[in-house]
Amino acid sequence: MTYEKHHFAAALAVVEDLAPALRLSLRVKPAHSATLGQALGLDLPTRVGARVAAGGTEALCLGPDEWLLTAPEGTDLATPARAVYADAPHSLVDISDREISLRLSGPAVLDLLAACCPRNVAAMPVGTAARTVFDSATVILWRDGPADFRMDIWRSFAPHVRALLAQVQGELAAGL
Amino acid sequence: MSRFRIPGKGRVDHAAPVSFTFDGKTYRGLRGDTVASALLANGVHLMGRSFKYHRPRGAVSAGSEEPNALIGTSRGAGRFEPNTRATVQELRAGLVTESQNKWPSLSFDIGAVNDRAYMLFSAGFYYKTFMWPKSFWDKIYEPVIRGAAGLGKSPTEADPDHYASRYLHTDVLVIGAGPAGIAAALAAAQSGADVTLVDENPEMGGSLLSDPAVQIDGRPAWDWVDAQLGRLRAAGVRLMTRTTAIGYYHQNMVGLCQRLTDHLDTPPKGAPRERMWRVRAGQVVLAQGALEKPLVFDGNDRPGVMLAGAAQTYLHKYGVKVGDTPAVITSHDSAYYAAFDLADSGARVAAIIDTRDAVRPDLLDGARLRGIEVLSGHTVTTTRGRLRVKSVRAAPMRGTHVGTGRDIACDCLLMSGGWTPSLHLFSHTKGSLAWDGQTFLPDRKTEACEIAGAGRGLWGYADVLADGAAAGLRALEGLGRAGHPAGFRVANDRPGTGASHTELPTDGNPGKARAFIDFQNDVTAKDIRLAVREGMRSIEHVKRYTTNGMATDQGKMSNINGLMIAADALGKQPPQVGLTTFRPPYTPTSFGAFCGYLRGETFQLTRKTPIDGWAEANGAVFEPVAQWRRAWYFPRAGEDMHAAVLRECKATRASLGIFDASTLGKIEVAGPDAVEFMNRMYTNPWTKLAPGRCRYGLLLGEDGFIRDDGVIGRLSPDLFHVTTTTGGAARVLTMMEDYLQTEWPELDVWLTSTTEQWATVALNGPNALAMLKPLVQGVNWDDFPHMSCAECTVAGLPARLFRLSFTGEVGFEVNVPARHGLTLWTALMEAGKPYDITPYGTETMHVLRAEKGYIIVGQDTDGTVTPADAGLDWAVGKAKKDFVGKRSLSRPDIVAKGRKQLVGLLTEDGSLLQEGAQIVLDPDQPKPMKMVGHVTSSYHSTLGHPIAMAVIEGGFDRMGETVFIPMPDGVRKARVTSTVFYDPDNTRLKA
Repeated sequence: MTYEKHHFAAALAVVEDLAPALRLSLRVKPAHSATLGQALGLDLPTRVGARVAAGGTEALCLGPDEWLLTAPEGTDLATPARAVYADAPHSLVDISDREISLRLSGPAVLDLLAACCPRNVAAMPVGTAARTVFDSATVILWRDGPADFRMDIWRSFAPHVRALLAQVQGELAAGL
Repeated sequence: MSRFRIPGKGRVDHAAPVSFTFDGKTYRGLRGDTVASALLANGVHLMGRSFKYHRPRGAVSAGSEEPNALIGTSRGAGRFEPNTRATVQELRAGLVTESQNKWPSLSFDIGAVNDRAYMLFSAGFYYKTFMWPKSFWDKIYEPVIRGAAGLGKSPTEADPDHYASRYLHTDVLVIGAGPAGIAAALAAAQSGADVTLVDENPEMGGSLLSDPAVQIDGRPAWDWVDAQLGRLRAAGVRLMTRTTAIGYYHQNMVGLCQRLTDHLDTPPKGAPRERMWRVRAGQVVLAQGALEKPLVFDGNDRPGVMLAGAAQTYLHKYGVKVGDTPAVITSHDSAYYAAFDLADSGARVAAIIDTRDAVRPDLLDGARLRGIEVLSGHTVTTTRGRLRVKSVRAAPMRGTHVGTGRDIACDCLLMSGGWTPSLHLFSHTKGSLAWDGQTFLPDRKTEACEIAGAGRGLWGYADVLADGAAAGLRALEGLGRAGHPAGFRVANDRPGTGASHTELPTDGNPGKARAFIDFQNDVTAKDIRLAVREGMRSIEHVKRYTTNGMATDQGKMSNINGLMIAADALGKQPPQVGLTTFRPPYTPTSFGAFCGYLRGETFQLTRKTPIDGWAEANGAVFEPVAQWRRAWYFPRAGEDMHAAVLRECKATRASLGIFDASTLGKIEVAGPDAVEFMNRMYTNPWTKLAPGRCRYGLLLGEDGFIRDDGVIGRLSPDLFHVTTTTGGAARVLTMMEDYLQTEWPELDVWLTSTTEQWATVALNGPNALAMLKPLVQGVNWDDFPHMSCAECTVAGLPARLFRLSFTGEVGFEVNVPARHGLTLWTALMEAGKPYDITPYGTETMHVLRAEKGYIIVGQDTDGTVTPADAGLDWAVGKAKKDFVGKRSLSRPDIVAKGRKQLVGLLTEDGSLLQEGAQIVLDPDQPKPMKMVGHVTSSYHSTLGHPIAMAVIEGGFDRMGETVFIPMPDGVRKARVTSTVFYDPDNTRLKA
């Protein structure tokens, strides 16, 4: 997935660009979420922050009626969803280009995040995600491993977030 | 070896000398010294001049509460800092320091004339002395006072350092790593809780570092500290030194300022100077200890007069004897230990003067053993010495009667008026305080915190250690965890009690006593009494009138003494007079630490479009619009803004212009009830809008006033592509979500922000269609009139194409997924070459829309403009039974005559009006004139003359009338016109 690496002296915290992926915002009333899940081939999680993956598609619950679906580019989720639209009215909006995603990893990644994220990131269970803020930008933070995160950032906010991350990386490299 | 350094003694590294300068003279200190301890080791007590009277001053403390030894420090180019506390600043190689508030020199200072004239500078002197003549205030008194006021020089260069921030979540935060804090951290750490222990000093250990003879669990104090810190480290406790808890905020949020590099000779490249921590703690243990109080007597501020505890610290931590022949004046047992330790280190203690009649027998024994004379029941009436104390006058007293005194020669005077619990952070939480007869102690808590040790009035290591451990356990219990209680065996403990005083009794004239309370602000005891005599009853008034406690030390030493004296003058108990409020930060904190990353490139979040880079490369001048930066205009060589904008406007009208409209807010409204939702939100009717068509939408608030507007396309029966103003995007989405979630949860419709999904490029001009057509696939041009939309491809890219116009020319907006934005832009620029395609910025967009009378919400409207006021009645669906704001449109004052209405203005002399200028009907009326409206938009135009829009009372009925715009350079005349200045019949849109 990774196609660009930013190199820094220390690999304490690594920031990498992730290749584009299909990203869809799914909105459906809770009563119809099971129907949608069936059509998409996965059980939509109901706990905010929980993730379920099946067949290359992953669903993250962001709210009682809101899910973020991710899948490899080219995956067709619109057609199966449309097939159940009459029974389970919903909104499925392509937001693949709205955000860009970074991978943040390394032994000091929690410090990197703690520089600008007020949430207790260390307490996030691996395999969950959360909508939170990084400085003044709203982001979605995915914890894929103890020291392995993804961050989805609205495209226009990304330069600001990247600049902050670079500053903090410099700080970590300085060892203070 | 410096004269006052005791070989081998202290925690400084005697093998590591460090050179620094003070007022241009080079001194040698040791690694581990502060500037103050190094100067004292060299026998230098005189470190500065006081704020108001320019009195010579030396270090009075050995810590962050220091009010006197404030110096300028320079750590290299651009790194000058005024008012650094010499008692805190650690030595580093090459440190340059200087004294403040002196001219021409520290030892001979002209400003000290103020000291002779002290009777003029009593409390509130500037209210009294400089009252007459009144006209002198602005031109003479205030400038002179301002020139003389202030302490230290402000830095003039930009701060080259950078500053970091970090959030921290911890179960237990222990503030203060003295014996109580260490014991609390040990207790809290035993259950596996996440514990953080912070201390403002370079080393942990607190008072134990100044009391090495104390033994805990059979170990000397320093060994015990080392061992416990090792245990804490092994238990995973986060230990942070040089870290000051500056503020205690709601819900156990504590701000910590960590100083990272000021003490380093060569900081690592890229290292931040300081880091601000925002800590959210489950439980907080406040173990900040107590601050020693000065005694109040004439001449208590001479260099060489210092707190007894400070002398003890200089001795044990730094191996510095503050004098050869110290005298002691005390009302507390603790000063005896300082005297004993100094005597044991070779000083000849001239006398211990104790205000109390009865002294503990073991202390008397200790003094006798060392040959120290103890004068119990004595007061100090004055001191002598110009730049350094040389004698102290002690006199016996009985009650307030003072007997004959005698002068005792000394080279320093150690004072102790007892100890004040450090209540600052507790006060930040608005916790209440209780008076125990001598001092205030923490009482009712408002946060999940524990207070331990000397911070709640305890004294003696055994008590403090036990209390710290108990507090740590209670914190654990607060987290729902449990631990085992710990006990400590303490030998050579140093318990103590004391008495509390106002000014010490004197046989001199109390009206002439220079008995200082607030050293930093030069407030004396008589100032407090004067304030009370002049009618100040509340301590808050006394404080402001005298400035007691208003310096950067926030009265750490002075507040309690000031209160005791004010209460005495008022004949009240101190709790009835009250204690002033402590506010964050606990100690002076750099602006940089507060700013953190928010400077330079990351000062503020700036949003950029996918086409921003192209605009920058092509010389765009940018303007901020909401959080975005947008291309404002594209000047060519030699062009000013006016020329560039006029060229862009003309090129667009004549042939073809291209504009980055990506910042427009976009909201996908989807679901079976989408059309119903649109009908309810917007004033316009949507039911009959066919898929593939667009409509101008107008959004009101409940009050009927215009909130936002934009062109909205219906892509399918269940799907609307809504656009909003750039600045309104987030607000509109929030407003819609609010209605949807709280008013109409039954609707099956959902809103998704797609502002950033799409990059939007606008093409306008008579050649727009011809240029675009060959690039588009999937549009039936026979059925794609003005106000149409389609999903298609443009230049091979998936696109949503809108045919609309914000310029009055044929226009299109091409939306492509944002990653393709730049590709689309360059493709259009290439394809537009035959038409001399011209990129234009927001200014040209504004001019072109104004020529057509298209409004900009927030510029031509101000939150009090209805659709009718703006001439947008046509956009309101009269037949609709409801929409947001509909009821308000029939309110009496909304339908009344004489509302401000949006009209055009053309100046008689062809001059450009100023946006925001006020409009009157009669320029000859007396002032204040009746203002009937203001100019909302004003531009040079392509029409050969400037145009303007304005809101004017009853404007629609004033067509053709003349109104007046008074400006500083004369009154302008303007004719009221329609807002449509260009192509009123829309012929150009139909091309």
